[in-house]
Amino acid sequence: MLKREVAKRVFAKEFEACRELEKSERPASETADSKSPNFLISPLGLILNRVFVVGVLTELDSIGIQNEMWKARIVDPTGAFTVYAGQFQPDASIFFSTVQVPAFIALTGKARVYEPEPGSVFISIRAEEANVVGEDIRNRWVVETAEQTIDRLETFSDALASRYRGETLREYLLERGASEELAEGISIALERERAPQEFSKQLRVSIREWLRTLNLESEDTAEAKADQKEFVLELLREMAGGKGIDYAIFVDAAVSRGVPEETVEEVVRSLLAGGQCYEPKIGIIRLVG
Amino acid sequence: MDEKIAPHLEELTRALGDLEKTGIRAEFDKLLAFRVSPEVAKETLLRRFGGKRKILKVKDLSASLKNFEITGRILDIGEKALRPQEGGKEGSSKLYTGVLADETGPVMFSSWKELPGSVGDVINIKNAYTRIWQNRIRLSIGEQSLVSKIYDSSLPQLSELSKTPAKKLIDIGAADFSVSTTACVLQLSHKEVPVRGKQSKVISGVLADETARLPFTAWVELPGIDIGSIIRIEGAQIRMFRGMPSINLVSSTKVSLVTTEEAEKLAFTFESAAKDPAPLKIEEIASRDSMFDVVTTGNVVSVRPGSGIISRCPECSRVIQKANCRVHGKVEGVRDMRIKAVLDDGTGSMSVMFPRELAETIYGKTLEEAEQLMFSDISKDAVYEDLRRFLTGRYLAVRGNSSNGEYGVSFVAESAWVPEDDIAVRVVELLRKLGPDEEDQGSEVSGGGISLA
Repeated sequence: MLKREVAKRVFAKEFEACRELEKSERPASETADSKSPNFLISPLGLILNRVFVVGVLTELDSIGIQNEMWKARIVDPTGAFTVYAGQFQPDASIFFSTVQVPAFIALTGKARVYEPEPGSVFISIRAEEANVVGEDIRNRWVVETAEQTIDRLETFSDALASRYRGETLREYLLERGASEELAEGISIALERERAPQEFSKQLRVSIREWLRTLNLESEDTAEAKADQKEFVLELLREMAGGKGIDYAIFVDAAVSRGVPEETVEEVVRSLLAGGQCYEPKIGIIRLVG
Repeated sequence: MDEKIAPHLEELTRALGDLEKTGIRAEFDKLLAFRVSPEVAKETLLRRFGGKRKILKVKDLSASLKNFEITGRILDIGEKALRPQEGGKEGSSKLYTGVLADETGPVMFSSWKELPGSVGDVINIKNAYTRIWQNRIRLSIGEQSLVSKIYDSSLPQLSELSKTPAKKLIDIGAADFSVSTTACVLQLSHKEVPVRGKQSKVISGVLADETARLPFTAWVELPGIDIGSIIRIEGAQIRMFRGMPSINLVSSTKVSLVTTEEAEKLAFTFESAAKDPAPLKIEEIASRDSMFDVVTTGNVVSVRPGSGIISRCPECSRVIQKANCRVHGKVEGVRDMRIKAVLDDGTGSMSVMFPRELAETIYGKTLEEAEQLMFSDISKDAVYEDLRRFLTGRYLAVRGNSSNGEYGVSFVAESAWVPEDDIAVRVVELLRKLGPDEEDQGSEVSGGGISLA
């Protein structure tokens, strides 16, 4: 009997950039018997199989022809997860058949790789269990995932700066207090070299942006701004309804009511980053809930 | 004949060393006597003694290891005559038990054959295996094992090995059976328990130092020692109970109060040790065989089947199915509620058991209310389904005891709560860690442009 795989916390951007980890790449041979699950590795060296994500369910389609099959998108501050649930995931399928889009949901599942042809890789989650949760849980998830991602980014930059590779790097990282799995993951990830610096920079930027919006909300810096924000939100609720509204039309409408364009943009951006609204189509915005 | 087997013997020697000394040659001949072809005999012996044979130290031993090699000094040995089994082999078989140690620690062993050494001698065992016996690891030497005496060993001398090691509480585990430590008494209570028909007084409680807490039991009186005392313990016995080490103070154990000056040099005081434990990552809990009274937080990623309303046997409290107890047959079940859930924090996962009181608290429904739900719904899993809807994905903090087994960590919660909302503080800390902007410095001032593409 195998131990349960840990559900990793990872943002969509890092998750989507994962690639399959060949069993032969893992020197620890005892973990690589035929029963061991398939692992993926992220550009930052995170080795994963199961994941736990909390985000906004923005799309849900029944795509099965003969069998039931659900396809869903879950949005987090950095991007979106593609999730599938079919007849062999009854718990998740039942959940998807009852949930209303959009909603904050928490989901555990296993990472899947689909590579129809060399060079085009699709990373998705095969859902195991899911549930509707509150916004507080989503925020907490983002903060925790940010903490774990930033720790990983720091170890990763440390590894890059050290200029060690392979076994030497692994030992160096272990000495620096990294977990065995991460030390192994980073030394494998660096062998693959896919412009790691650029990737980590982008990830930092999107995490920072999201945290700022949360921070602003919690500290309530400007009273007036909050009022205007409230007004924009109210207007959006009125105009967008359940169907959504063209972004340009909305901005014009808000400006004509005396709200500066920058404020509208700022509010919409923070709503988007905060997951309270989303884009069902490019240029269209729609409120969650 | 010899010409035929010579190359095989040569190969065996290359792989396994001196064949005569280790007795492998005798095994080889035994197989040939059974008309096993030399080729197959060689393979058999390679598989049995060679291959990926590991050389282990005592500290590396864990439950159900097979086919490894170990060298140690015999600290103690005794023999037990076993009653011959009916229909078994003639004569009584003997079991040799004792303690073997190397520089990393001692381990109990049992051997089904006579060993080529006595107390103080160093022996090398090939093809040894381990078993769990009375809740702890035991080195087993079976018929298949090869034991040889080593004369020029660099292992520490007997006197040094038989000292009881001084340990911090966190380092005490299933491999220890006698330790010395200095710790503070956090809890203490007296009770009377029947031991072999007599009422005996025992003292039980909890000890703590700066690394961990552990339960203790004293079978002797502890004059002058109470909650808050810092004590030095020499030669206490370690017993395992449900995967958890417990410190046993027996008549041979020396217990003394630590003087005030000495206490100042310690890394803990009663106040620091008595504080609520700081939360650990599940990774840390999973890296230990067991932990007593620790705190962690995580998400409920799964509520396991068997959660909700259950029936227990009124006599033995076992969970029963269809009003039948495994031991007591047909019984009138007693209703109970519990939750078994997987808690995961991204660094590790563990199975947590919430007994009725806690299950009621975190579920927000009492057993009676849950029963109402069960009776009002046609699905027999109504409560389980409701629990899943209620708990899956949530954050929970738990405090209790963990033990690590074949199926991963299992944790019995003593208390549970929703972790406090410290998001704002953590966001500030994260932004500090991320440092100043690298490229979007000016964007905030100007408001920037929003790109919806």
